[in-house]
Amino acid sequence: MTNESNQMYSNTKLLWVSLTKQTTQELELAPKLFKQFLGGRGLGVKLVYDHVTPEISPLAPENLLVFAIGPLTATTTPTAGRFVVVTKSPLTGTIFDSHCGGHLGPQLRRAGYAAIVLEGRAKTPTYLWINNDSVEFQSAKDIWGQEVSPSTDYLLDETDSKAQVACIGPAGENQVKLAAIMNDKHRAAGRGGVGAVMGSKQLKAIVIKGTNPVSVSDSEKLEHVVNRVRRLIKKDSITNKSLPVYGTPVLVNLANEYGILPTHNFQEGNFMDAEGVSGEKLLERFFKKRYHCFGCPIGCGRISNVQGQEIGGPEYETLWALGPQCGINDLEWITLANHRCNELGIDTISVGSTIGCAMELAETGKLETELEFGKTTQLLELIEDVGYARGLGAEIGQGSKTLATRYKVPDLAMQVKGLEIPAYDPRGVQGHALAYATSNRGGCHLRAYLIGPEILGSPVLVDRDRIEGKPELVVLFQDLSAAMDSLVLCRFTTFAFGIEDYADLLSAATSLTVTGKEFLQIGERIWNLERLFNIREGFSAHDDCLPPRFSTPLPEGGSRKRIVHLDEMLPAYYKLRGWDTQGNPKQARKKQLAL
Amino acid sequence: MNLTVDELVKLIDHTRLKPETKRAKILELCEEALAYEFASVCINTVHVEYAAELLRDSSVDVCVVVGFPLGASLTEVKAFETKEAVRKGASEVDMVINIGALKDKDYALVQSDIEAVVSAADSAIVKVILETGFLIDDEKRQACLLCKDAGAHFVKTSTGFGPMGATPYDVRLMRETVGAKIGVKAAGGIRSFKDALRMVDAGANRLGTSSGVAIVEGFRWAGYSDSWLEPDKPCWTCPSRQASLSKQPKEVYLWYKQRCVTCPHRDQNIFND
Repeated sequence: MTNESNQMYSNTKLLWVSLTKQTTQELELAPKLFKQFLGGRGLGVKLVYDHVTPEISPLAPENLLVFAIGPLTATTTPTAGRFVVVTKSPLTGTIFDSHCGGHLGPQLRRAGYAAIVLEGRAKTPTYLWINNDSVEFQSAKDIWGQEVSPSTDYLLDETDSKAQVACIGPAGENQVKLAAIMNDKHRAAGRGGVGAVMGSKQLKAIVIKGTNPVSVSDSEKLEHVVNRVRRLIKKDSITNKSLPVYGTPVLVNLANEYGILPTHNFQEGNFMDAEGVSGEKLLERFFKKRYHCFGCPIGCGRISNVQGQEIGGPEYETLWALGPQCGINDLEWITLANHRCNELGIDTISVGSTIGCAMELAETGKLETELEFGKTTQLLELIEDVGYARGLGAEIGQGSKTLATRYKVPDLAMQVKGLEIPAYDPRGVQGHALAYATSNRGGCHLRAYLIGPEILGSPVLVDRDRIEGKPELVVLFQDLSAAMDSLVLCRFTTFAFGIEDYADLLSAATSLTVTGKEFLQIGERIWNLERLFNIREGFSAHDDCLPPRFSTPLPEGGSRKRIVHLDEMLPAYYKLRGWDTQGNPKQARKKQLAL
Repeated sequence: MNLTVDELVKLIDHTRLKPETKRAKILELCEEALAYEFASVCINTVHVEYAAELLRDSSVDVCVVVGFPLGASLTEVKAFETKEAVRKGASEVDMVINIGALKDKDYALVQSDIEAVVSAADSAIVKVILETGFLIDDEKRQACLLCKDAGAHFVKTSTGFGPMGATPYDVRLMRETVGAKIGVKAAGGIRSFKDALRMVDAGANRLGTSSGVAIVEGFRWAGYSDSWLEPDKPCWTCPSRQASLSKQPKEVYLWYKQRCVTCPHRDQNIFND
């Protein structure tokens, strides 16, 4: 490794793992790679773009599964404990980055790795045990078929109780397209079926213990910037009050008030029993304690006490997906169902949304099943069946797009590019609607969280119905998110930090000195590379769309009479991006971004 | 509007007026004021000595509120409070006007009340809070003229404890009434940089807010897109939207609501946000 790259990203290497050959290789990282892509999501995207071509199917051994951390990971920077998984998604066919909190990221960094790249397929169930610079392939046959908690406990017993585990549950083993990768038992790299990719490689888990010190380029400067951003987190009412007190479920009542809480598979934007499944109610009924990911002063995670069990969650998106989306108002059941999803290793958003889709298929007589909006009967068993790919569960495990298409009503799948849309009805938030449609990984709220400005007033409230100016804000947030995800910081920091704060943190931790605008350009480069990957896979402007339901006005509530005006925003978005009318990045923009 | 971050911070009275305020919060307020170089810290008189000590030899002034928040204290009490606060280090005094006397049209009493504070303040700046939420437009204009005649240096919209906060409409009305020679301070409900810019655009040259840090930090985002400043629904900034029967006299409330019916933007007044 060169001195320059050492300074940029202290003593980190790339660990390339062939599961087929059971070999590992430590690779040096070119400084240019860091300058252009930073780490985390950017690094993973570059690796996947370079090595995963269209003929490689997502569940083929040749697909890569990249676990990556960023240049701030394990430093004193708040929320710098996350990791990201990048791969080609079996659910969407797009490039996909799935993020996870918990405590694994710092172990990876301290073991000396910026990323672990997994390729091939083990002959038998395997787990990877990384103890600083020792890497071992171990048999996972004793836990293959086990759920997440017993698997985690077993692996810590077998290795080191101070290690961290990222593992799959039965859903990943059965290559269910909604399968997640779990850390700390209830934190998930949830979306896109990344767990299925891990399962396809017969890799049950990665266990990591890293104890090496992490150095930064300018520790004094980093301490100064960290003190500043910590104060900003303390000053912000979202990061200092709402999230610590109620967790992300604080959004239930708010979304309902604005009429954007999708109900009955997005047929309505208001849920009559929202209060009963709200963050406030969760606090009153089941709250046990807060959960903090590594280095996080916010502590938005919940540990709930239900029926004598201490279990993680639920988060807002889960409360919605297993609640209002399916017409369910039983908070206790939702909390338990969330726990079952965690144990099976299933993405709660996609499974809840797809069950809601199945309920509507049943309601319209297209699918013969006992499923009914509002009823929890047999639903836990159905979730179990999703995890084990049995019966209707196996169909739901393919995601809503496949399910609704199979029953010849594709419009009932509330998805973009195959990924289920999360807990905000886009009809009441025009910018967020554009963000859904243009997301590189499909229906996702986190590529550009326009709920911030359009609903929460962060950094400032903008008119949620207005379409003018929204393409600019979507581009800004997409670029920022891509760059921030490459530092691998939590999305919630955007409530408190400004763009320069991220640039200052990066500049202090590495030898790369960037301004806010340069930081955004790194994000833009990553965004465009993801777009180029998807185009290479056959995606086009045709896929930048929303389900037709969003062209029908909401009947009542805080967003009544509204529809999405996507056609009016999309051309402006392409133009701002420097893309042609078909959504292809023009040569000039590619050159400008050194792509 | 071409306002820089440095110019914006100099317009802000960094404010903490909650009754439960502890010394630690005053310390935090003063440290932030020093770090950002705000115009002043705006506090209750009970904290004046502590704040003056913390801000000694700095460019940040100590601003206190007097007769706050009702404006219904005896004139002698307002004058005494002013004198003591200035003696203990305040260089700016935000007093609340005698609202009841103004509503009674006892203009001599209103003016003498202000004059007493101006006199007690000596060389300190005096800003007079009208509490616009209790007033209709004619009363706001009359109050502005009385403040001017009494020698006040600023007129100020609200306490933050009354029925309404500052609105661009009221700031514009006050600026048009007092002219360019005395100041207009917008206060109450100013929480974002967009709120702040609207007030400045309407004629305010001082902003009272407890969200100074958020405003300045948020303003940095404006450097990355003009889209933040796209027009919002007109009702968002209209005083009639803030009118509240539970907080205002019935006739004042109805005066505001009557304007909604004839408003040229009434077609947009259909949603709940």
